[in-house]
This record gives sequence, C-alpha cells and structure tokens, in this order.
Amino acid sequence: MTESPPMLRLEKVEVVYKKVITAIQGVSLDVQQGQIVVFLGTNGAGKTTTLRAISGFIGTDDAWVTEGRILFEGQDIANWPPQKVANRGIALVPEREKIFETLTVMDNLEASVGAGASRATRKRMIDTVFDHFPRLATAKTRLAGYLSGGERQMLAIGSALLCEPRLLLVDEMSMGLAPRLVEELLDHIVTLKKTLGLTILLVEQSAHLALGIADYGYVIENGRIVLDGTRERLGGHKDVQEFYLGQGGGDARKSYREVKQYRRSRRWYG
Amino acid sequence: MQVLANLVVLTAIYALISCGYVLIYRVSRVLNLAHGELMMLGAYLLFTLASLFKGGPELAFAGAVGLSLLVGFVLYVVLMRKMTGELVIAAVLVTIALGILLRGLMVLIWTARDLHPISVLGWKNPPVPLGGGTSISSVALATILVAVVLYLALMLFFRYTRWGLQMRAVGERPLLAAQRGIKLHAVYALAWALSTFSGGLAGMLLALDSGLGSTMVIVGLKAFPAALVGGLDSLLGAVVGSFIVAAAEILAIHFIDPLISDVVPFVVLIAMLLVRPWGLFGTKEEIERV
Repeated sequence: MTESPPMLRLEKVEVVYKKVITAIQGVSLDVQQGQIVVFLGTNGAGKTTTLRAISGFIGTDDAWVTEGRILFEGQDIANWPPQKVANRGIALVPEREKIFETLTVMDNLEASVGAGASRATRKRMIDTVFDHFPRLATAKTRLAGYLSGGERQMLAIGSALLCEPRLLLVDEMSMGLAPRLVEELLDHIVTLKKTLGLTILLVEQSAHLALGIADYGYVIENGRIVLDGTRERLGGHKDVQEFYLGQGGGDARKSYREVKQYRRSRRWYG
Repeated sequence: MQVLANLVVLTAIYALISCGYVLIYRVSRVLNLAHGELMMLGAYLLFTLASLFKGGPELAFAGAVGLSLLVGFVLYVVLMRKMTGELVIAAVLVTIALGILLRGLMVLIWTARDLHPISVLGWKNPPVPLGGGTSISSVALATILVAVVLYLALMLFFRYTRWGLQMRAVGERPLLAAQRGIKLHAVYALAWALSTFSGGLAGMLLALDSGLGSTMVIVGLKAFPAALVGGLDSLLGAVVGSFIVAAAEILAIHFIDPLISDVVPFVVLIAMLLVRPWGLFGTKEEIERV
C-alpha cells in the first residue's frame, strides 16, 4: 500500500436490495490516483453492485448502502444520487443500458455534457471524443440503437468522458464482444488513462485481457473480497490462474464454486 | 362545410389537452389521470384572476397561464416526487386520487354552478365567417391557432433544446440519464409544468368559448383516448389520435345521435386497444403487459 490517501476508498461496504437481500458485505477496496484497478469475479459475485453503489442508486433500484463508507477524495458519497456523483467527478460505463438507443450518436453525446457548458465548449468536448473514437464521428447522425456492439461501447465510454470524470468506472466492457475488439478497447482505456490522467476501475469476468493493463486487482466472490494484489501477484496466484485465467489444466475452466474448500488466504475486513 | 370546421375545432381542443398526457407519459411512463381536473383548475384560475383584475383582462389571462405552469411544478415537487421509485401503477392511482380531491376542492371553492369567465374578462366572442355559410367562434379560431403554435413549439423544443434532449433521454433511460449527470427531478418537474400549462390553456380556451362547469372533466377524459390512440409517447400521434377521435365523435353526432357523443371516444379507445395496444405512433416495446 502506498502512503498517499487513495482517490477512492470503500470501507466495509454493505448493500441491501429491497431491504432484505444483501448483495455485497464488508467490501473494502482502495483505488489509487492514476491507477487502473481491475475488479474480478464471476456472475453474481457482486461486481456490478459494487460499481453501482459507488455511482449511486435511483429509487427504482430499491437499493441502499446500509453499512460502511464510500470515500471519494476524502468525502463520503455513499447513497448520493447518481447525478450528484456524476457531477462530483465519477462516471460509470454500465454493462447494459449504456446508451440512449432512440437518440442519435450526436444527441447521446450532447445529452451527456454537463449543464452550463457553452455551445463552443460542448463542440470542443465532443470533438475530443471523436478524436479518441473516429468511428463515432462517421456515425454521428445514426440512431444509437443501430450501432454495432463495439460502437456502442465506444459511445458509452465517450458519453461518460463528457461528464469530465476524474474516476471512470467501467462495467464488463468485454461482454459479448470479440476478443480482438476488447483488446482494442482496452488499448483505448490505457490511452485515456495516459492522456487525460484518468483513474480507472475496471470490472471484468475474464482476467485474461484485463490483468494485462491493470496496476492492481481485487477478486470478489459471493459478495466478499477474497484476494487482492498487484498484477504480478494475482497473475501468479494459483486460484486466479485456475478460476479466472482458465489455466487449471485438465478439464475446461472450473468455477471456484466447485471447489469444496478454499485454499486461498481469505481476506476481508470485519 | 360546417361539419369540417367543427371537426378541425374539436381536433384542436383534443390535441391541446392530449399533449399534456403525452408529455408526462413520455418522460415518466405515468398516466396522469388528473389531467382533466387540472385543466379545469386552469379555467377556474382564469375566472378568479379575471374577477380580481377587472381592469386588465390580458394580465388576468397571462397570470392564469403562469399559475397553471406553477401548479404542475408544485404538484411534482410536493406530491409526485415522492412517487419516483414506486410502481408506475401506484403513481397512476395517486393521480386518480388527486383528481377526485381536486374536483371536490373546486366545487367547494367555486361551487358547482356554470361560470362564464369571458363576460368577467369583458371580451367578446363573435363568430368568424369562413365563407359558404360556415362560421366558427373567435375563441375556437384562437384554439386552433394556439394548438398549432404549441405543437410546433414543443416539437422544436424536443428537437433543438438541451432541456428537450434531456427529456427524451430521461424518457428512454432514467437511470442512465442520472448517471450522465442529468437532474431527473428537474426534468420531471418541467414535464409536469408543461403538461399543466398546456392543459390549463386548453381549459381556459374551452371556458371562454362555452362556459365553465363540472362537465369539463368529461372533455379532459375524452382527450385521453385521443392520446392513447396516437400512442401516448408521441406528439404527432396525439394530433392524429385527436383527429380520429374528433372525427368519430362528429360523425356519430351527425349520423346517429348527439346523445352518444361522450361514448364514442371510448369506443374508439377499446377498438384501438384490441387491434394495436401501443397506439398508432407509440413504441411497441414500451407497453407494460397486464
């Protein structure tokens, strides 16, 4: 751990849905400024809930952070509404429902620029997005609902950038995309980190590509964090190799759930 | 010819009212079943202001329009805001209760007798000859003009302004809109304000033309099939739906019996729901199944 206070710190965060269903419990993690942090876990492990807890719930989610703190730059933002979190400097690229399908590409971007920006400023900001993703510029007038999977992802990332975040949360970017496309998008993420000085928290199911660009990683299972470490440590860890990198040998990729006893060192607070 | 003129006037009235249903439904998927009462409230506000400002009818009219806008805003902030996150059906039930409450309050405040704001304002309503022995009243002509201007303004608003764009975004995906920093409650409040504004305007024009009484709620209710036939989330659909309902109603008055005129829009509504439940211009996926 570095000495400087982290940009984002989750302290024993618990999220409860519909007042009874506990989705995550005692989740603690740190994201240092300027890092790319990967958050690994299988379906239903609590990755998306964690990201959503950071970016804020709306009424229809019927979800609350019931315990713990979410500190962003020292301020507790737990249970803030999404629009407030977005204006505070955290933007989320959701896994599903990430673009407005009935709006054109241009309108998607326009709608995401923060209030109060002048016409010239808006144009400049949107042009910056087009510089990063030239394919969006050629599809400006198309309805976002007709975009391909890769273009959707680019539009979603581009829209999130227009909120001028300092911390970007990206949920399951690789979902349903060809591996080559995922690689291309991950390259973009690295570029964004370098050119804009962004800090990025990346959620992934498959560690293959994500670990390659990460500075640090966490593994979440059943709503609890069980493992964390640098890329080298995680990549070299036997369980990660077996369950998330598919290098278990023998049968096809196994799930941690099939293993009766955890061999790993459990690591959660509280 | 006179039939045609009446048809255009009735279409304009329904269109003015039904766009209020569409505005709220489009951004929040809530059917505001108190719209008829809110429209009537606008008309009563005009009557009261007209009695207060005897010297300035224009001022009274502008004040009533402004107040209508405010009514929607306040309603959202103090009542409907609490309903975000609840089931849509719960919000709809709240609007029904609100409508009944408003109706009771209006009878208490203004009594149930028929009022005529036009005479209080000191305005005249002479018939405007359209040639060929056809004529419509001046207020009816104004209603048509107001409807046209309002629809054009709303379409431009949705297409070219940031607030309009944000309303479209919120209407499609409220969560994503919030995650992009759009202030959900401000957008919803604006939708309610615009809805009561247009509804109040319709109520005032109607009251100027034919007086103000408890039957106005029925007119508001008849505009609901118009909005639904058009598809509930489409402004163009609301115009077309208004035309279809108005046409059916006028044909029924002429060829069957004037007594059934209040029933016809709902016959059209049922027919539409059986054939194409999402309406003519509505989005098919948007319908929530029973």
